[in-house]
Amino acid sequence: MSDPRTEDYARLIVDCVQPEPGWNVLVRSQPLGKPLVQAVTRELARRGTRALVRLRFESAGGVFVREAPLELLRELPSIDRHEVETADSYIAIVAPENTREGADVPAERSGLLMAALREVQQPFLSDEKPWTGCYWPTEAVAQDAGMTLPEFEDFLFGAVLVDWDALAQDMQRIAERFDRAETVRLVGADTDLTFSLAGREGKVDALGANVPGGEVFYSPVEDSAEGVISFSEYPACYLGHEVTGVRFRFEGGRIVEASADADEEFLLGTLDTDEGARRLGEFGIGCNPGIQRHVKNTLFDEKIEGTVHLAIGTGFPQLGSTNRSAIHWDIVKDLRNGGRIELDGETVQENGAWRL
Amino acid sequence: MAAVDPRVEEYARLLVERSLGVQPGWQVMVIATPLARPLVEEVVRQIARVGAWPLVRLSWVDTEQVAFETLWASEAPDGLLETMAPSEAQTRRDLDAWMMIQAAENTRAGSLLAPERRLALRKAYAEFNERRLRPGFPWVGCLYPTPAFAQDAGMTLADFEDFVYGACLLDWDAERDRMARHAERFDAAETVRIVGAGTDLTLSLDGRSGLVDDAHYNMPGGEFFYSPLEDSAEGVVEFSEFPAAYQGNVCEGVRLRFEAGEVVDASATGNEEFLLAALDTDEGARRLGELGIGCNPGIQRHTRNTLFDEKIDGTVHLAIGSGLAFVGGENRSAIHWDMVKELRSGGRIELDGEIVQENGRWVR
Repeated sequence: MSDPRTEDYARLIVDCVQPEPGWNVLVRSQPLGKPLVQAVTRELARRGTRALVRLRFESAGGVFVREAPLELLRELPSIDRHEVETADSYIAIVAPENTREGADVPAERSGLLMAALREVQQPFLSDEKPWTGCYWPTEAVAQDAGMTLPEFEDFLFGAVLVDWDALAQDMQRIAERFDRAETVRLVGADTDLTFSLAGREGKVDALGANVPGGEVFYSPVEDSAEGVISFSEYPACYLGHEVTGVRFRFEGGRIVEASADADEEFLLGTLDTDEGARRLGEFGIGCNPGIQRHVKNTLFDEKIEGTVHLAIGTGFPQLGSTNRSAIHWDIVKDLRNGGRIELDGETVQENGAWRL
Repeated sequence: MAAVDPRVEEYARLLVERSLGVQPGWQVMVIATPLARPLVEEVVRQIARVGAWPLVRLSWVDTEQVAFETLWASEAPDGLLETMAPSEAQTRRDLDAWMMIQAAENTRAGSLLAPERRLALRKAYAEFNERRLRPGFPWVGCLYPTPAFAQDAGMTLADFEDFVYGACLLDWDAERDRMARHAERFDAAETVRIVGAGTDLTLSLDGRSGLVDDAHYNMPGGEFFYSPLEDSAEGVVEFSEFPAAYQGNVCEGVRLRFEAGEVVDASATGNEEFLLAALDTDEGARRLGELGIGCNPGIQRHTRNTLFDEKIDGTVHLAIGSGLAFVGGENRSAIHWDMVKELRSGGRIELDGEIVQENGRWVR
């Protein structure tokens, strides 16, 4: 018996990309995503849209990335390139069997692959073409979240099946306040960081490129970050790694000092990916009332109500960012216990509660 | 994870190196279901080591052409079914080699799609199939042992694995030489007569040459095959020993009577309805597309899987429907249904009146 919420979820996902009849929609997933992939496929068929379903055992490339000669990783095969270039839309359904898959791929190899992909995926990254990414609840994702699968299913559907129109209005008000501001100051445990949003506008993510949505985000001015931030509450999760106690010191927008309590080597290696990896690409504010706890999964964690997140690496050109990097690593900071956000000296959020 | 069966590595190497002969820079489509993961990953590893790109296409439905999800095809508007998505069509014009790994979770899963929708999908695939079956295009169909196949074969999975690798991991050069000697006699002959239980059928190979499958088109190989002259079949063949299975449908006791190459009378003791409907698919469905002679010494028993059954040593098979253009076949149809005839118990093959095989044994 299939979960009736799966059908609602599938409709929501397809609504996010609003396909027109005759479109070619790429649907990427993994074998465990079967119930949702099938529901999405059916929904696309009903809307007269072609579904190009591409399942992979590992989202990060798998055996090929580990084994192929490096020169093959530098370019995509022409068939894959053409397929992505001609796709009208793209839906990614993440359904891992093991969230650490890919952790053994040397950074050099995954970096080459990501660089090759980035070029061809540019129309999606810059929102010229609609795309969306979402999760299917699997045992592995539940395990990382510290939950049983039924608990995690409730958590996921609770985060996804919300009143999006009402939440979009709330987030719009928040965005308007930040749009007017120049300087953001984040204060919290071991944290006092300022950066500038001057001339930058935010984006409200209600339903679109992320399911669940529930954040307002900006690309800060690249040379503006000054001070210290300590992500002491939650681990920073990226490419199968879990780095605890990340601490950055910024000068002139650039990370000049970085440390971590565990897996510091991976952190430092990632910061050395390229020049852009040491600068901020994103500042986001989590606003999803269905998400109250950290589940070691960026898609959800960055939307925890009462948190903010900073991403090192590539920024959003459509939000004015000029920072470019092969990486984009979101790291979440909890502000609900003694933290606050100031805009041009005025406190607008304290202990995670808005004072707008 | 349990250690991968070492036979999988050898199997993958045969597929990549022998069956396809993958070259650096090639783009190789690999179609499979998630159950085939150990073999798919080994194949991907071998392709990567050659310096070529694997294009893995996984689907839950194990049918001959899986890139279209059955589910999508069952709900999409009619107009979309008969053509491929443009990028899919382009993919199939550009790819350099094609591998289809059967790995069913349920061998009956493909049978739900309505026949007219299935037919529409086949039309969408016609252009690629024509390309694939042209001489020189590297392709291979093979199987990864799953519980569903073992179940159909009436075996445990472990026994079925032994059966599969016993049929596939052979000295294929030696097999090729052996089969080529038999094929030469068929090439030189005009008329083939097949006699057996309830069976006396003649057909002509005049002007047609056969092809020996030494693990290039199918893994396992172990047959040589022809497309008989389209108007030549006369007489009766009764497939009484084995069921005839096609796309998840199984017919028992199929009997076909031919006149001037065409099936004029058909019956079955089980699921006759499906047989008759298949014969009515199109004009070409009533004519022979293939005569094949099974020669694989590793295959002695029927397992309800055409890929293996058609190579049983001491059997022949006839396919109704589409002929094989690369051996001169001119018949065209949306179907190609192989049916296997046992000759080991009282059967024989005559070439121009001379007995060349009796009771499944070759006569010198």
